[in-house]
Amino acid sequence: MSVLAWIGEFLVLFGTIFYFLSTLGLIRMPDVYNRMQTATKSATLGSLGVIVGTGLWAVGKGLSIAWLTKAIVIGVFLLLTNPISAHALIRGAYKSGIPLWEGSVVDKYREHLEKKASEKKEVEEGEE
Amino acid sequence: MLKRALAIVVILIIGYWLAQGLSQVPFGQDKMLVGKYYLEHVKEQTGAVNAVTAVVVNYRGFDTLGEVTVLFIASTGVGALLWRKKRKRTAKTEGSVVLTTGSKLLFPFIMLFGMYIFIHGHLTPGGGFPGGATIATAFLLMYMAFTIYEIPHKGFEVTEGFAGMGYVVVGLIGLAIGGYFLFDWIWQTWHLGTSNIGRLFSGGFIPVIYTIIGIKVGTELSGIIDNMLKEEVKE
Repeated sequence: MSVLAWIGEFLVLFGTIFYFLSTLGLIRMPDVYNRMQTATKSATLGSLGVIVGTGLWAVGKGLSIAWLTKAIVIGVFLLLTNPISAHALIRGAYKSGIPLWEGSVVDKYREHLEKKASEKKEVEEGEE
Repeated sequence: MLKRALAIVVILIIGYWLAQGLSQVPFGQDKMLVGKYYLEHVKEQTGAVNAVTAVVVNYRGFDTLGEVTVLFIASTGVGALLWRKKRKRTAKTEGSVVLTTGSKLLFPFIMLFGMYIFIHGHLTPGGGFPGGATIATAFLLMYMAFTIYEIPHKGFEVTEGFAGMGYVVVGLIGLAIGGYFLFDWIWQTWHLGTSNIGRLFSGGFIPVIYTIIGIKVGTELSGIIDNMLKEEVKE
């Protein structure tokens, strides 16, 4: 039983370290996109560690199995929703014209959009 | 500048005055008068484990009726303010595939969770209002992810009205059986579930009323979202 509690404690520690790293990334990173990268990835992993760790810890301490069940349900929900919200935020940021960091070299998405726009223009001109 | 400084000074004075008043209240001491009665009698009188929902629905049911009325008036007020003949959704940018697929997959789970909250109002924290708000969130998600999504307006308004009437009817049955409005007839007269306090089929009429309130609040807030997202169409 106490092995479960140990694993839980370790997972909670692991998760808090990743939480710390994600906040550090928020301060250290140069632009919105890099910040979202660090914030979502490490915060998702950190939350998973803390939530599942809490469930295991509680079960290891002799509390009911319901703790672990609820923790896993919350963890799965978070695992599925966090990337979608990050995706929506990033896409919204790009669409509203927030510039990339000046050090970044490749912007394939802009090239793609420009190519699409020029193709559309050509088609419209051809119709006239 | 002067205005802002003056405002800060006034707010500081008000804050000091409030803090002076509150500093006389002891913190962390047993100050329960009515609360003690609620905590000691809640299980045998209402059958609910969650004392908050028992107080809100059973002991002070009139307040909840008032809150439901306030929400209903807010919904009809928004509807009346934004009333136009030709109103449509004019959103143009379709959400990305990830977003639309994700919302489509999440929608039933959010609905399920909302229903879980309002059905288990007498056992776990929550109740009709959070459950209804969760259901409305699911509809908001669909509205945000799809440009053409629309709730069936007529049906939602009818459901809302019937749910509100259901609450009053439950109260009136209590008036007929027990002699006063919102009398808990399922618990006090039928003794339904008196042997299994803490399980799903207990709590008198709290689950019934919270199901009604959850449906009502969910449809109401969805209706408000629907009203606010539509724009007038110019011919």
